Amino acid sequence: MNEQAVETQALVKRYGTVTALDHVNLQAPAGRIYALLGPNGAGKTTLLSILTTLIPPTSGSARILGYDVVRDAAEVRRRIGVTFQEMVLDPLLTGRETLDFHGRLYRLPAAVRRQRIAELVELVQLTDAIDRPVKSYSGGMKRRLELARGLMTDPQVLVLDEPTQGLDPQNRVNIWSYVRDLNRRRGMSILLTTHAMDEAEALADLVGIIDHGRLIVEGKPGDLIASLGSDVIRVRGNGDFQHLVTVAAAIDGVSRVETDPADGLALIYTDNGSRRLPAVLNAISNNGFAVEDVTLARPSLGDVFLHYTGTALRD
Amino acid sequence: MYATYVIWTRHMRKFVQQTEELVGLALQSVLWVVLFGVGMRGMISDVGGSDYMSFILPGIIALSALGGAVGGGMVLLDERLRGIVKEYLAAPIPRLSILLGSAASTATKALFQATLMLIVGLLMGARLAINPVGWLGALVLLAIFAIGFSGLALGVAAISRSIAGYHGMIFLFNLPLLFASNALYPLSVLPGWMQAIVLINPATYLIDAVRALAFGVEATLPLWASGLVLAVFAAASMAFALSLFQRSLRA
Repeated sequence: MNEQAVETQALVKRYGTVTALDHVNLQAPAGRIYALLGPNGAGKTTLLSILTTLIPPTSGSARILGYDVVRDAAEVRRRIGVTFQEMVLDPLLTGRETLDFHGRLYRLPAAVRRQRIAELVELVQLTDAIDRPVKSYSGGMKRRLELARGLMTDPQVLVLDEPTQGLDPQNRVNIWSYVRDLNRRRGMSILLTTHAMDEAEALADLVGIIDHGRLIVEGKPGDLIASLGSDVIRVRGNGDFQHLVTVAAAIDGVSRVETDPADGLALIYTDNGSRRLPAVLNAISNNGFAVEDVTLARPSLGDVFLHYTGTALRD
Repeated sequence: MYATYVIWTRHMRKFVQQTEELVGLALQSVLWVVLFGVGMRGMISDVGGSDYMSFILPGIIALSALGGAVGGGMVLLDERLRGIVKEYLAAPIPRLSILLGSAASTATKALFQATLMLIVGLLMGARLAINPVGWLGALVLLAIFAIGFSGLALGVAAISRSIAGYHGMIFLFNLPLLFASNALYPLSVLPGWMQAIVLINPATYLIDAVRALAFGVEATLPLWASGLVLAVFAAASMAFALSLFQRSLRA
């Protein structure tokens, strides 16, 4: 089996003069959960559309399990399962018909379809609703049905575009546990996009941070976070950010200061947050900067995002 | 193509389930024949030896197939705008099978409507030729014709950005198809320039052939030519639909 589930080389997509993807080099190893983290409009859906053979790239190449998404599109389609960002379900069909129809499109024999439907309905807990028309489903049920549909063909690579967007916290956690299960129990390779840090933190073995069509950094979440330093003091407020940077950086034990003035946020990385906090607060609040809120924490993926993109991750 | 069959069954499943569409199509057929037929019959008693009801029935059937094709295009447009078509696009099936599935379900609905119209027409006094092979031939030609117009409608649906835009474009060729044909009046009464236009219209060939096959009227155009024109038309319009569909995917 190929080592990389998904691999792109200098992938570019342009719409007229707009560059949606700018030389993306992504590597998602087989058997892992890879999360593409980025704000809306960063190019995540465009990238997935190319990987799932819906649209061709402008230049560069992309492979799924070693198959080129343009030249070997049919091979790619046979091996992937997909859920799209928007709900793409036919409201008139029942859940069972939706799954059965999907299986028939992939030419699964009737016996296999029956068996898979029985298993998947159990997995996504739709047993009671499976024979009702989809239009009677709640948002969370529709998402679970879509997940089941993506799994009907027992794909080697599962591609999920914003799998929990618009879901309530309980349904989000449910979807997360299905995704984790699929990966752990069946060794399924999973590529998902999200604009929610907590989702990437909860699921991903590997994270790729994408912004303005560029894949800025990829790696294990723990490594990315550890590279920032041990503690971060997050300061919210307003005033002269440039001055704040100069003052704070001069304090003993402060390794780095990052700011996003538009968001009123400053991140001060230190060797020991609780020890340096008084000195930091003293220094910055005496210098024309009004502090509204201070939190002391270990760095998070959100801080990684700010570190690499220069802006905080917003919805 | 197996995928065409699968998509056809999905459309049929929805068609049978949606009682409004089913009843709507059935009532439409009956109303067309009753209102139009009765109204016109009051004015015109016969055309070239056959009664007006028999004369006009093939025309009404052809035109209702047009309406069906417009509806078939709407299904694709709706699936496109809602993103449902992505499920097909990510599946290992040829793009053409998606369009053929839609065209096949349109043709099936057209046949269903035509059968109803024929029955109502007969009850209203149309005289069918006793020629089962001819009836069958007429239905086959109708199906080919319906696929042809589905192709045009699907092509437009593939590039329309909105439902209003689609209807605007469709309307452009719907009206001329009705009046620039032999549906309402025989070819022979038309002036030469209009005959030339009418002979470009595929509906003319279908209507003429159906009159000859099912109603025993003498054909004004050779049957083989009508069949050929309809087959070429269906193939060309599906090619048109496929090229526009593929273009819409490259964007």
